[in-house]
Amino acid sequence: MKIGQDSILGLFFAVIGSIALWIAIQYPFGTAGRMGPGYFPVIISSLLVLTGICVLIRSMSMSGDPFPAIRWKALTLVPAAIVVFGLAVEPLGLLPAVFLLLVLSAATSVKFRLDWKAFAGALIFAGLCAVLFVELIGLPMPVLGTWLQ
Amino acid sequence: MDIFNGLLLGFSTATTFGNLLYCFLGVLLGTAVGVLPGLGPIATISMLLPFTFGLPVDTALIMLAGIFYGSQYGGSTTAILMNLPGEASSVVTMLDGHEMAKQGKAGRALAAAAIGSFFAGTVGTLFIAISAPLLASLALAFGPAEYFSLIVLGLITSMVLASGSLLTAFGMALFGMVLGMIGTDVNSGAARFTFGTPNLLDGLDFVVVATGIFGLGDVLANLENERSRAAGVAPVSSLFPTREDWKRMVAPILRGTGIGVLLGVLPGAGVLLASFSAYALEKKVSRYSAEFGKGAIEGVAAPEAANNAAAQTCFIPMLTLGLPGTATMALMIGALVVQGVQPGPEILTQQPALFWGLVVSMWLGNLMLLFLNLPLVGVWAKLISVPYQYLFPMICAFVAIGVYSINNSVFDVYMMALFGMLGYFFRKVGAEPAPLILAMILGPMAEEYLRRALLISHGDASVFFTSPLSLGTLSVAALLLLSIVSPRFRKVREEGLQEAD
Repeated sequence: MKIGQDSILGLFFAVIGSIALWIAIQYPFGTAGRMGPGYFPVIISSLLVLTGICVLIRSMSMSGDPFPAIRWKALTLVPAAIVVFGLAVEPLGLLPAVFLLLVLSAATSVKFRLDWKAFAGALIFAGLCAVLFVELIGLPMPVLGTWLQ
Repeated sequence: MDIFNGLLLGFSTATTFGNLLYCFLGVLLGTAVGVLPGLGPIATISMLLPFTFGLPVDTALIMLAGIFYGSQYGGSTTAILMNLPGEASSVVTMLDGHEMAKQGKAGRALAAAAIGSFFAGTVGTLFIAISAPLLASLALAFGPAEYFSLIVLGLITSMVLASGSLLTAFGMALFGMVLGMIGTDVNSGAARFTFGTPNLLDGLDFVVVATGIFGLGDVLANLENERSRAAGVAPVSSLFPTREDWKRMVAPILRGTGIGVLLGVLPGAGVLLASFSAYALEKKVSRYSAEFGKGAIEGVAAPEAANNAAAQTCFIPMLTLGLPGTATMALMIGALVVQGVQPGPEILTQQPALFWGLVVSMWLGNLMLLFLNLPLVGVWAKLISVPYQYLFPMICAFVAIGVYSINNSVFDVYMMALFGMLGYFFRKVGAEPAPLILAMILGPMAEEYLRRALLISHGDASVFFTSPLSLGTLSVAALLLLSIVSPRFRKVREEGLQEAD
């Protein structure tokens, strides 16, 4: 059986809405004249749950577009490269972090070849970024982090 | 302050050496990033945001505006030369623009787009100068009920204009509102949806979410069809429109400008509706309607004019009411808040130099675009043909640095990665993220105004229907919703938005 786009989206809305609703009912609700912090969140998340259910019902009654295949490599590696950047930028500094991000994300491309050119290109671009953002624009971040100094 | 003095003040603000330079830089960078296929204005602005940090507020705003219409302009260049839309509104330009390019008339199509844009930009800027002060003084009479109704109208318009089903768009808007509620509640001080982490006490940064969904999400989606991406760039020949071209262009540019100026002000409509309507109108009234879709110059000039006019006038709700009409404007508000400015009706009286400087710099920016882009079109064509495998790691680097530099927070970088994956997921299930982005910034405003309106009326919800302004706004919103149920409009919407996909 093919899973439809709508079933997944409806489930997504319903789950997010339920979590939000479950959290929101723990806040003081108040009255319409004196709304508590829970008033608006409860309304919005209930509506989200309802919408999710409606989308789910629609997915059962109509044959919508099937959920397309996912290219997991790009979907996981590129965000992972961003996370590596986040992990590296404070201890290692901007230059090594950008270098790592470039090499790791580039590796997801089908056209990527692991050779010295890729590393040289990444190094040059990382250097340019460091000069541009830290030296010229003056963003407060170290070119080389505390571990390398 | 009357308009004449305002414009004088604006000229003296916008023409200082620094502001001119940054306006130029903004336009240049905006075009350079905007021409890259697959990068729309939102991704471009969020990528280039760190360039405006550390600048004085007026300079930063001028540069941001420059980036915005630079990217818009760059998008049409890509649409004409490569048949790849950078954003939904350039899809219309693509229809006839790329046909012209295939017939060897790429230069003339680009010139028509540039001239149409410049004229429309001039009119749009003048319209802001005249109407914004009026609207801002009117806005002082707006109470919380009127603001709430306007927000509802903006949200509904953005849902109706989103591609895909209305129900999906409604869900996306609600999800955006939930995201907007994360953080400390301004009234009670209660921490909501923070999951116990202090990183979320100030809320989820709007720029982080937009950058993740549009910047990184686009990269992930583009990597999918990497093998089929090889597309040719049409060669650019003579840039000068013939006398025949001029004759055929004038009326469509005038009509397009009129449509764009008016529709741009409508909250939630943005530039997309303007360019679609202008194209549809030309197709109806033009003597050459048989040529549409086969390279009619009217089909380039009119939507481009409408597009750019709307791009100017969509600043009006933001500058006068503090309400963003489009996702891009929501991002501009996010950027302004980073700068410490809260847009609203007070901006005109309290910071006239900022307001008038921006208005004048918009016109100067359009002038620069005209003289910058036609001669530089060869450079842009080269930029377009940079292979994607070199481009996307650099885009990743720019968005990561950009997001990190907002608060120097690594947490924001991780959030951006998460929202990049979500953006990819939304594309996969056919849900357009624009209503989410708009709702995320409008949601907290809606809550605040609803709370205030009901506090004044002691919980009586009829305030929204007794104030004539609020009632009128809500009626327009209801009409929009009803229109989508009518089969005739439904067909038009589906056809129009189909082309946008």
